[in-house]
Amino acid sequence: MNRRNLLKMAALSAVPGSLWAARSALAQSDAIRFGCPVPMSGAFAANGKYADIGMKLAIQQYGTALGRPLAYTVLDTEGKPATAVRKVQEQSEQGTRFFAGGILSSESLAMGKEVEKGGGVFITTAGADEITGKDCNKAAFRWSVPTFGAIEQTVRPLIEAVPKAKRWYTITPQYVFGDGLLSAAKNIFAEKGLEHVGNSYHSLTEKEFSGYLTNALAAKPDALLILNFGSQSSDTLRQAVSFGMKQNVTILVAWASGLEQFEALGADLCADVYFGAQYWHGIDSPLNKDLVKRCQETLKVNPNYSLAGSYICTKIMLDAIIKSGSADPKAVVAAMEGMKYDGLTGAEEIRAGDHQVLKNYYLLKGKPKSKMKDKDDYADIVSSGQSFLPLAQTGCKL
Amino acid sequence: MNVYLLQVVNGIGIGMLYFLLAVGLSIIFGLLRFVNFAHGAFYLLGAYFCFQAMQWGMNFWLALVVVPLLVAFCAWVVEKVLLRHVYAQAHEFHILVTVGLALVLQEGVILIWGPLGDNVATPEALQGVVMWGNFIYPKYRLFVIGFTAVFALALWWVLEGTRLGSAVRAGSESTEMVSLLGINVFRIFSLVFALGAGTAALAGVLAAPIRGVEPFMGIEALGIAFVIVVVGGMGSFAGALVGGLLIGIVQSVMSTLWPEGARLMIYVAMAAVLLLRPHGLLGRG
Repeated sequence: MNRRNLLKMAALSAVPGSLWAARSALAQSDAIRFGCPVPMSGAFAANGKYADIGMKLAIQQYGTALGRPLAYTVLDTEGKPATAVRKVQEQSEQGTRFFAGGILSSESLAMGKEVEKGGGVFITTAGADEITGKDCNKAAFRWSVPTFGAIEQTVRPLIEAVPKAKRWYTITPQYVFGDGLLSAAKNIFAEKGLEHVGNSYHSLTEKEFSGYLTNALAAKPDALLILNFGSQSSDTLRQAVSFGMKQNVTILVAWASGLEQFEALGADLCADVYFGAQYWHGIDSPLNKDLVKRCQETLKVNPNYSLAGSYICTKIMLDAIIKSGSADPKAVVAAMEGMKYDGLTGAEEIRAGDHQVLKNYYLLKGKPKSKMKDKDDYADIVSSGQSFLPLAQTGCKL
Repeated sequence: MNVYLLQVVNGIGIGMLYFLLAVGLSIIFGLLRFVNFAHGAFYLLGAYFCFQAMQWGMNFWLALVVVPLLVAFCAWVVEKVLLRHVYAQAHEFHILVTVGLALVLQEGVILIWGPLGDNVATPEALQGVVMWGNFIYPKYRLFVIGFTAVFALALWWVLEGTRLGSAVRAGSESTEMVSLLGINVFRIFSLVFALGAGTAALAGVLAAPIRGVEPFMGIEALGIAFVIVVVGGMGSFAGALVGGLLIGIVQSVMSTLWPEGARLMIYVAMAAVLLLRPHGLLGRG
């Protein structure tokens, strides 16, 4: 089975699967219920569908916790905060206390607050600094590296790798996630004495980037920093390459969505382009090797970021339930705070003060088709590391 | 070259594609008074059929001819089997049926090709850029401008200089009159619907190497097409051209003047035109 067939089956089975899980939970009132609130429709549906598979994989792997069955339901947030909050609210009323999801920062911020009100636990992979910063709360956790760390671990090493890149142009989506990335990038440009020759903001619904790329070309940059996400970053990169920018401009997609993005773009477009990544299936860690093996055995594919993120978020909550010996959200939160574990990116730790998982972020470089060892070997890991704001600077007060 | 001039040139490139997207919708509404919310889905089919054709090793140039014809044939069948039965109904029925059709086609695309996007390679001969001083523009986009201009001329000739065109124009004034003259109006309806869907598919084929393919591209295209039809005037060929170019240029120039509002300005331009000329720039009152 290839990745497309897998997704087609997942897409077909998503609703019945969720209903089945919900029915199971109703039939077995002692089941511990999980919710997977992600976009299953709209521009970010592909990410949501992988996240669904990730949670399903973790739930199936554990089967039970504390001797109780596990159940989960997928909630289609449509990528909209208002819809996400309503779906989480409904699910909370039905007894679900553990939520892992949220692809977009705006929906994750809203859901984190809602889950806190409902007395549950929420863990996300969204990027905005605020999630574990000034808008943090007792119920919300975040596995992914926030925007600050993503820029630190991509722009900084790239400046060292390409010292002739003195003039940088940025293309940024105008919402909390994009602003976080842009602000972190500007700080590095200022610190290193590099020239930020321009920025083009764009809306979240934008598909046509030629106007912004015309601005970029007119500014004659040495490096183009693409700060949007998902299909928008694919569209920006595709159009930037068509404008010939790969020839004399270093291109960095700071927050790539991983393997599925490489697949959608193809090796020719990605070759020699730099990508920032939360996760890559080639990471050399015991848990990642186990996940890769598990995915290859059961799904016949390598895991990507959306799948892996949802899997590890669910696993963290399950491990905390087992560690605390209770499915009471307060006990689970207490167990998660400060928890150290072998994660997908190696040793990971949940910082108690802001509920941020401390983990690696990766800088990848796309490789030419001729150098790919297998069909998913699109990139080499150039560097990796951890960058997090000190707790006192996050603005988080739990 | 001044950045605003560059944006105007780029806007013409975007606008020509928008024209192609909208002209079919406009013609269909002009003749049939039929609100076709499935128009974006034909654009989607055009893009995906092109992707599939190239996966099977078909030459892009052949796909550029074959795919719009194939989609036009599919639309012709859909019109005969489904849509002509609701022409006499109120616009609400048109919307219900065509939205349903669009959703079926979109879900069909997901079922066959999956929810992930894909890339369509630019034809080898058109890869790279044209450089003229500091003017840098992709060869492929220049080709799209030229090709669409030629196609627009050909379509204008069909509508203005042939018997079919006369029947279409007369039909848009009074179908009863045309029917009384012994012309099979339903055949004209079918042909026009297929022509409209075919032009949308042609836009999909031309857009695929620029934007790739993804299952939700039809919804976005439909929104743009409606804006252009409203700006240019319902049922007006020239209106679709002027509207497409205007919206393309507005979007592109605003990418420099107010980048975060470039998308919004498309709709502001539409609102402004509606306020000043409620029937569109070249629409009939």
